[in-house]
Amino acid sequence: MRYPFPVGAVDFIQGDEAIARAAILAGCRFYAGYPITPASEIFEAMSIYMPLVDGVSIQMEDEIGSIAAVIGASWAGAKSMTATSGPGFSLMMENLGYAIMTETPLVLVNVQRSGPSTGQPTLAAQGDLMQAIWGTHGDHSLIVLTPATVQEAFDMTIKAFNLAEKYRTPVILLTDAEVGHMRERVYAPHPDELELIYRKLPANEEEANYPFGDIHGDLVPPMPVFGKGHHTYVTGLTHDEKGRPKTVQSEIHEKLIKRIVEKIEKNKKDIVDYEDYELEDAEIVIISFGIVARSAMRAVKELRKKGIKAGLLKLNVLWPFDFELIERIAERVEKIYVAEMNLGQLYHMVKEGANGKAPVELIPKIGGEIHTPKEIIERIKDNLR
Amino acid sequence: MGWVITMQIRLAGFGGQGVILAGVILGDAAAIEGLNVIQTQDYGSQSRGGHSIADLIISKDPIYDLIVTKADVLLALAQLGYDSTKESLREGGLLIVDTELVQPDKEFTGAPFTRIAEEEVGLALTVNMVALGYLVAKTNVVKKESVEEAIRRRVPKGTEEINLKAFRIGYEEGTK
Repeated sequence: MRYPFPVGAVDFIQGDEAIARAAILAGCRFYAGYPITPASEIFEAMSIYMPLVDGVSIQMEDEIGSIAAVIGASWAGAKSMTATSGPGFSLMMENLGYAIMTETPLVLVNVQRSGPSTGQPTLAAQGDLMQAIWGTHGDHSLIVLTPATVQEAFDMTIKAFNLAEKYRTPVILLTDAEVGHMRERVYAPHPDELELIYRKLPANEEEANYPFGDIHGDLVPPMPVFGKGHHTYVTGLTHDEKGRPKTVQSEIHEKLIKRIVEKIEKNKKDIVDYEDYELEDAEIVIISFGIVARSAMRAVKELRKKGIKAGLLKLNVLWPFDFELIERIAERVEKIYVAEMNLGQLYHMVKEGANGKAPVELIPKIGGEIHTPKEIIERIKDNLR
Repeated sequence: MGWVITMQIRLAGFGGQGVILAGVILGDAAAIEGLNVIQTQDYGSQSRGGHSIADLIISKDPIYDLIVTKADVLLALAQLGYDSTKESLREGGLLIVDTELVQPDKEFTGAPFTRIAEEEVGLALTVNMVALGYLVAKTNVVKKESVEEAIRRRVPKGTEEINLKAFRIGYEEGTK
């Protein structure tokens, strides 16, 4: 297999470009999208690369059609992806729920910009965190990853496909305009270095009869492929293990939804990922994610130089959320700060996790500019005076 | 100019001068050398005429910062770009200007890059490569050969030679 970009090599590329290349390395062969700043470069790259790897990149009429096409392609057996930003993400919410309900593996990239509505198209934000987790209606679970560097954008795209396939679920890669547009040094692995996961297929006709049954006891049913001769029924309505609509039996609904939630929640240990820095003896901890975690890291280094025992927790996975991890940290620090580019979203989850064991204070910022390390440092020092 | 652990470089001009491409090529050269590098940009919505700024942070250490806050080097190719960025140059930092297009109000070095591109290279569009050559010669932030490799990788096919010529002329100018 020849790739239309360097592999096993270092390059200097934008975050958006990194996502497109990583998707192709992960085996993505179907992309559907609608152009939107600051995610358009992903689409541009896919339009160039896909024909060269026997894949498909298609522009749909809007973002609703884009995610719908991706769901269809996934059922036809292709690893599939779409990418968008705020306004398009809002349009995708209904079909994101359909993908969760039908347990369709896909990767949805949201290159965040400021909202609501069309907001600030070219500037970064982290205002879609709650929407990524809870934007679609009804009880559910899914996986949300978030990168802070171009290398992480690359690596997490591969991880997103692996998790989507492993758990038969949509995975959201929640990035932002800054990571999307900045260029950094990136190592693109050679395909031989990668461990790729492919969805479990039915082993026989009997298994194919239960596309929504926990027939292996791992909460993840094998997924039949359209066009391979199975009779499969796929619906957003509550369905039984064979996929047949059963909309009024409470026990069938409860069993289905609990399994969809538990296949994520019970595998939290496998999915959750974070980095900590100087946490061992920290009295003050900053919790942050994505682009802001870089400023937070610089702030921690500067605070340490001034003799203040600060530490950093950088979250790489935003859902499932490790509430217990936050509580363990809260038990041994004096104060937790949450720095994020919104008016307080991660803050609420951290506060719930801290469970009263340590005070939690928000350092919010909106308007498109990232917190400077100085802003974070001054806020913390003001409180110490 | 001696290499420190981290170097912040800001390139400023107006849209159409190729400031962003010069920044990408310089960043690519740093990546080729195994240095850590981040490049961000800021430009007006017009493709020609608005201000255009490329920021680079090149470091032997991991980079957490995103934008240039205290530039070690500021290259200004237009008065518009200079006026909007001059405050970001740190005290004692190196200011490089197109001496016919920018009238700086602080200590500077430079050459008439645009005229050199027109008269010596034969293509005004290569002003970005002339200026980049000058900057690399003055700062030694990366090796000349790394930039030449990056130019071959990054400029439109068929324009490699004229861009390399422009870069080398600028580099020579910078060693004077």
